[in-house]
Amino acid sequence: MTIIDDLRALETEALAAVEAASTSEALEATRVGYLGKKGSLTAILRGLGALSHEERPEVGRVSNEVRTAVESALEAKKAALDGAAREGRIAAEAVDVTLPGRRWPVGRQHVLHEIVDEIVEIFAGLGYQIAEGPEIELDYYNFTALNHPPDHPARALQDTFYVRDLSGDRAVVEGESDVLLRTHTSPVQVHVMEAQKPPIYVLAPGKVYRRDVADPSHLPQFTQIEGLVVDEGITFGDLKGTLEHFVHQMFGPERRVRLRPHFFPFTEPSAEVDVSCAICGGEGCRSCGGEGWLEILGCGMVDPNVFGHVGIDPERYTGFAFGMGAERIAGLKYGVPDLRLFVEGDTRFMHQF
Amino acid sequence: MRVSLKWLKDLVDVTMPVEDLCDRLDMTGTKVEAVHALGAMLEGVVIGRVLTKEQHPDADKLSYCSVDIGAAEPLKIVCGATNFEAGDRVPVACVGATLPGGLTIKRARLRGLESQGMMCSPTELGVGGDASGLLILPSTAPVGASYAEYAGLADTVLELEVTPNRPDCLSMLGVAREVAAVIGADFETPSGSPSESGEPASGAVRVVIADADLCSRYTARVIRGVKIGPSPDWLVERISAAGTRPVNNVVDVTNYVMYELGQPLHAFDLGKLATADGAATITVRPAAPGETIRTLDGQDRGLAGDTLLICDGSGPVALAGVMGGESTEVSDDTADILLESACFDPRSISRTSRRLGLISESSLRFERGVDPDLAARASDRAAALIAEVAGGVVAPGIVDAYPGEKPLPELTLRVDRVNTILGTALASADVVALLEPLGLGVVAADGALRVTVPSFRPDLEREIDLVEEVARLHGLENITSTRPGGRERIGGRTPSQRTRARIAATLRAAGLDEHIGYSFGDPADLARLSWDLASDETLVELINPMSEEQAVMRWTLVPSLLRAVSYNQRRGVPDVHLYEMGTAFLTAQGRKQPKERLMLAGALTGSWSRPGWNSPGGILDFFDGKGVLETVMEALHADRWQVRESVRGWLQPGRSADVIVAGDVVGWLGEAAPDVLDAFQVTGPVVLFEISVAALLKAAARASILYRDVPRFPAVTLDIALVVDEAVTAERVTSALRSAGGNLLESVRLFDVYRDAPGAPGDARRLPVGKKSLAFSLVYRAPDRTLADEDVRPAYDKLVRKVCGAVNGEVRS
Ligand SMILES: [Zn+2]
Repeated sequence: MTIIDDLRALETEALAAVEAASTSEALEATRVGYLGKKGSLTAILRGLGALSHEERPEVGRVSNEVRTAVESALEAKKAALDGAAREGRIAAEAVDVTLPGRRWPVGRQHVLHEIVDEIVEIFAGLGYQIAEGPEIELDYYNFTALNHPPDHPARALQDTFYVRDLSGDRAVVEGESDVLLRTHTSPVQVHVMEAQKPPIYVLAPGKVYRRDVADPSHLPQFTQIEGLVVDEGITFGDLKGTLEHFVHQMFGPERRVRLRPHFFPFTEPSAEVDVSCAICGGEGCRSCGGEGWLEILGCGMVDPNVFGHVGIDPERYTGFAFGMGAERIAGLKYGVPDLRLFVEGDTRFMHQF
Repeated sequence: MRVSLKWLKDLVDVTMPVEDLCDRLDMTGTKVEAVHALGAMLEGVVIGRVLTKEQHPDADKLSYCSVDIGAAEPLKIVCGATNFEAGDRVPVACVGATLPGGLTIKRARLRGLESQGMMCSPTELGVGGDASGLLILPSTAPVGASYAEYAGLADTVLELEVTPNRPDCLSMLGVAREVAAVIGADFETPSGSPSESGEPASGAVRVVIADADLCSRYTARVIRGVKIGPSPDWLVERISAAGTRPVNNVVDVTNYVMYELGQPLHAFDLGKLATADGAATITVRPAAPGETIRTLDGQDRGLAGDTLLICDGSGPVALAGVMGGESTEVSDDTADILLESACFDPRSISRTSRRLGLISESSLRFERGVDPDLAARASDRAAALIAEVAGGVVAPGIVDAYPGEKPLPELTLRVDRVNTILGTALASADVVALLEPLGLGVVAADGALRVTVPSFRPDLEREIDLVEEVARLHGLENITSTRPGGRERIGGRTPSQRTRARIAATLRAAGLDEHIGYSFGDPADLARLSWDLASDETLVELINPMSEEQAVMRWTLVPSLLRAVSYNQRRGVPDVHLYEMGTAFLTAQGRKQPKERLMLAGALTGSWSRPGWNSPGGILDFFDGKGVLETVMEALHADRWQVRESVRGWLQPGRSADVIVAGDVVGWLGEAAPDVLDAFQVTGPVVLFEISVAALLKAAARASILYRDVPRFPAVTLDIALVVDEAVTAERVTSALRSAGGNLLESVRLFDVYRDAPGAPGDARRLPVGKKSLAFSLVYRAPDRTLADEDVRPAYDKLVRKVCGAVNGEVRS
């Protein structure tokens, strides 16, 4: 046996061992066994010094070949084993993607405030400021300045909530107090006109109160959205066009709008506004009571007497006002059958919207 | 207002279909709220001819008849009536018909024989009081025809919504005038003058009006020798369609004329009025203290000082415009009538009717305002009708006291003003053409119109009232839609509104649902919450609450949230996370309007979510509530705030804290006390918080944001665990660390709290008794270079010495 034969034998053996190694650890042991400091190929190479001058180049060449072959086999095998290990790990980490994810609870805005926000966005886009006012008002702002005559029935104790007045004043108009829970958001109109000169473009959402027993279609507390515009040259046509724009934004461009003359103390001319029924498109069906139309708001041109109370010249300025109920709109939009659901706080109800 | 279409058609020429008429009324401001088909109840009742009438074999009192109703086969009908013979024509209710009494006719077996319908009496058809036998019809009645149509019972009644400004439309006359104007037809004013004879009325009646402001006109007529009895059919039919039950011919006429012309009338039994020198003196005056009257309904009524009365020489005989008195009521033996037709002050009538709870067709009309010009015409009309239906002789003349007579108002209407307000381009002639059909006198003068307003339109007082008339008759649908131009306008939300929206959005992102509760409060909740009001605070009390539980305005949002939690828990929803932003109300002695404070409150209970296959679903506690507040504060960039342990009646001691911004207590958070859980029927723990929104806005406003360099060099992080007394708060240690850290210390974060288990044996204890260990992560960083451990070591050593001294702690090794 020449040393070259030994090298070739060792090469065969080493390549077989590499091939046989089935784990990274076994492969490493194989490497150390052949190429480590005490490895068998290393031992042979160390013995090269004892060779003759003539033998040396040939043996050197072969031994390099062997070494390179073993090293590349090791490398290839290592890559194969690593790849297999990664694949194994990937396989082991596979999940059932249909299992539920880790959830963070989603909080919902109350549907009434969602409606209010939607309306606010529409009118803010038309250049309206958002105004607010107190929920406990004086008779003057809720009634008198809004052109309600002193004996107007809405002032009656059976319709309007009155608050004990601790100032010692006696009410002139109704009973012992002229402090009341506002029955509409319209007093905000008066506050705005007292505080601000035209042009006035405001939207005033808020809670209002009327003495109704809570039942599916009544609540003693509900949410109104009031609009007021006072400027030079404002016409009834402007009111009509504004409300048509609003209805198309809120309910869809296919809905039709009709204004019916009506009476409110603080606007003249006044109108009620109907939207064509979404279900029958105006033909009349069960859901609109056969009318084809659903009433959604009241409106009109600001009465000159109201301007008189706030010192705005009705010859120079004209204006319009409108008011609507968020509960009514939510009811129409989502078909909520019982208004009491809005105040009970049932989270299963809240999460529907 | 119920309007019989038949009646209406007598007064105005309506040819269009009912639906079109309703649309036209809707679009001109008189909403048609409902359309009733009268006589529809008698659908299925036809005219039949009795062919044969035989004795029922098994019942003495029944007959067995064959009745021709114009169908192929005659009906077999078992009948109990006896007042008919073969050949008679009678109304027959066929199988399926429902009679006014609610009876639905079915095929039935009566003593063994099948009956295929029912022959009807007047009572069964609701057309009269005779129940003794069948209604026998004339031999000319067409067999097979609808009975309702034959008898002229078919009518359509429109229910009109009459707005408060249109008292004139509370009469057929007014509605006819309005209909004529809106459909462009002619109409006829019903009128009538009685033929008079005998002694003049002025000899029998004198009228004194004490206060012309309360009664602008009072007329009296005298009708002698009437015979009280039932009214003729036409009269019964008309007032029934209008919604009133017949009483007797005289009363029915007063009601008829009220519906027809809008003038409430009252008939006194003249013989029962006190007289002096053969004449009754009617005085219209306010009640004197202590006066009483027994009204028509038999009630004795005490009268307040401003009740307007009709009196004779002996005292009150009627509540003016509201209800008559019993003592002078028209009864079966009444012979002479005093007919009152007057105009009373709307406010006075409204007060009286509301105070006494007496609301009548008469009081409703006076409340809205009755045309004073109408009184004499209505009296004439009614007197003529009474003479017609009740006999009697109308005494010559009308006693008419009219102290409140006023000239008709004249208004100026500028056509350009109309167009300015409506956005129209109407010509003067257009406006005239719209207004005249309403009965207004219109004359063009100096580029404007002079408009004379008739007395039946008291709502037309100003130019704008006429603009409204033009608008509704021109048609709102004919006004072109535009949108305001609006120079110099600025829109959008205020900064405060935007910040509030951000707070709410943050809460929702944190998993809280928004609740809106009642603004009312239950004063008993003060005790349920052990809530003490400050000495200068008073609850806002409602004078007329709906209930004890809603007797005040809420001073805190907590009960609203606790009740919502309870509502959910009782329905099997255990995980509830709510917030509410709403007004809390408090007042004080001497205050007129209460203080309104916008509050943000929250309630958390259960888990953030049900335990899942890969999430534990821990029970929410104090620190979840605090975490929500921290999240909100971070979203607002509000970092100058803190909490401090506090005692509040409704919170569990030891799990209760005040929220402090800039040294002020602006809110609180904590877990609800066990008593509170019981009182509100809630399962705990429930974390609650409430904080002033104004304070949040202030805290947010304080954070003015300025760019700082984002760190460019790596930090050195050192951990330290400090063993301190239980009583030393995390906040105290944290601020000691911050103040001792030097300028390289960027942040301090507490990451662990360790305590030995309570009662752990000595060898298992790792800390001295009464101590805890707080572990912090300290981040050191320099803005201009990479730090090495050695760079921070001196600062760290100094920090350890200082902090251990400051909090009496030692480093845990
Ligand atoms: Zn419909």
